[in-house]
Amino acid sequence: MKRFDSALLKIFLCGLPVLVGAALFDHLMDGRLAAGYLKTIYNANGFLLAAWMLLAVYLSIRLVLSAGFRDRVLARLTFMKERDEREELLTGRATKTTLMTSLAVLILLFCLSCFQVAVFKLPPGKAIDGKTRGFSLGLSLRLFNDSHGTWADPAVRQYDVFSYSGLPISSSAVILLLVAWQIIAYNCTMRRLTKS
Amino acid sequence: MGKSGETVRVVNRLNVLRAEHRITQERLAKEVGVTRATIVAIEKGDYNPSLGLAFRIARYFETDINNIFSIEEEKK
Repeated sequence: MKRFDSALLKIFLCGLPVLVGAALFDHLMDGRLAAGYLKTIYNANGFLLAAWMLLAVYLSIRLVLSAGFRDRVLARLTFMKERDEREELLTGRATKTTLMTSLAVLILLFCLSCFQVAVFKLPPGKAIDGKTRGFSLGLSLRLFNDSHGTWADPAVRQYDVFSYSGLPISSSAVILLLVAWQIIAYNCTMRRLTKS
Repeated sequence: MGKSGETVRVVNRLNVLRAEHRITQERLAKEVGVTRATIVAIEKGDYNPSLGLAFRIARYFETDINNIFSIEEEKK
């Protein structure tokens, strides 16, 4: 099991750059228009992504269930091993820092997702005290995505000069950002603690 | 911290003992099962070893743990 997991972990990590390359290829090429060997590459990319995702699900489950596997992944991701009790202590401190900074990032992202800002022109003939521009600031907390998500009448919004209603990035991007943040924060803290 | 505002600091004579026995940090680290960085940190007073490690070090030098580690009280 140990060897099997290690092999899968290697494939998972080696597959990352391949996956990025495949995503770039897909972005540049329109699969519907591709023909010949390009079509084959396009289809192979889809297969690669599916296989990598399956691997990701399996490894995530193993991460939750196996303490030994967690240690191996940590060593692989951070290029560091806990060789003795002092390094275990440093790992604890780095983990605490990572947890707290991740929490801070999450709270910030939550706040940013709730803010709504708009700068708009007032419709003709509706100027207030001669002023033709307006500014609105709001907060919106929704737990589910719904079709009634618009926060202003579209007729009014056509006069928007600038509007912000929540994070402009996708949920996948937010999750990726958090994963990257955790790995970078842990690495940096661990290196700083090891040096001091 | 004590009730009277005193802090307790662990001091050690590890470098003295090591010099007396002519043992390198690397060798001691290997014998007691830690990294050289840990021995360096203990000697500099940056890290207080666990009881287990302190006893392993004492056993290696064939001495009492009190001959290596002691506490100093500092007034804040």
